[in-house]
Amino acid sequence: MTILGMGVLIVGIMALLLASIGLFVLQDALSRQHAATKAGSLGIVLIVTGTAVIGGSWAWWWRAALIVVLTWLTMPMASHVLARAAIRGQLPEDGEGSIGGGNMAAQEVKTKG
Amino acid sequence: MTNLLVWLVLGCVFLGVLRFVRGPSDADRIVALDILFSAAVAMCALAALFSQRVLFLDIAIGVVLIGFVATLAWARLVESRDLKKFESSP
Repeated sequence: MTILGMGVLIVGIMALLLASIGLFVLQDALSRQHAATKAGSLGIVLIVTGTAVIGGSWAWWWRAALIVVLTWLTMPMASHVLARAAIRGQLPEDGEGSIGGGNMAAQEVKTKG
Repeated sequence: MTNLLVWLVLGCVFLGVLRFVRGPSDADRIVALDILFSAAVAMCALAALFSQRVLFLDIAIGVVLIGFVATLAWARLVESRDLKKFESSP
């Protein structure tokens, strides 16, 4: 049981490390929030599950389950708000690095204002 | 083994801090803050595991909630401020 929990823990830490490497490989705030929130939530869930498997008793399991449920409830909402902030942050004066709907949203605001 | 896991999470914290310092836009900084809160939860879980105290998982629950509220508040602040700056520019 300890070996299984340690394996899950190591996979979770690798997912978290991959999320933080994605902050440097990707080149846009929108892509960076994609990497950070998706892989980050997977990493948290695997780390906490591995901790509960190693801990083994009921006191560890319900706390781990509460953390997993809270992560799955809050991470998509944080991802959505981060994506909105990333799109609105891409002004047309920035020039390069703005992909997709960033300029479109900004131009929409410009014609409206 | 213990040291290796803690050092891996510390590398994650280092990358997050580097992106927090170097981020070109404010949205990058909030994304880095999100990664830092995830690393804090991982550190709490490792502390609970290696000290054999379940108390640290309670702290991890608190860190998850604080991270959610902080990310939401900063993202809304940056969004509204960028919108205002863009509207006031000619």
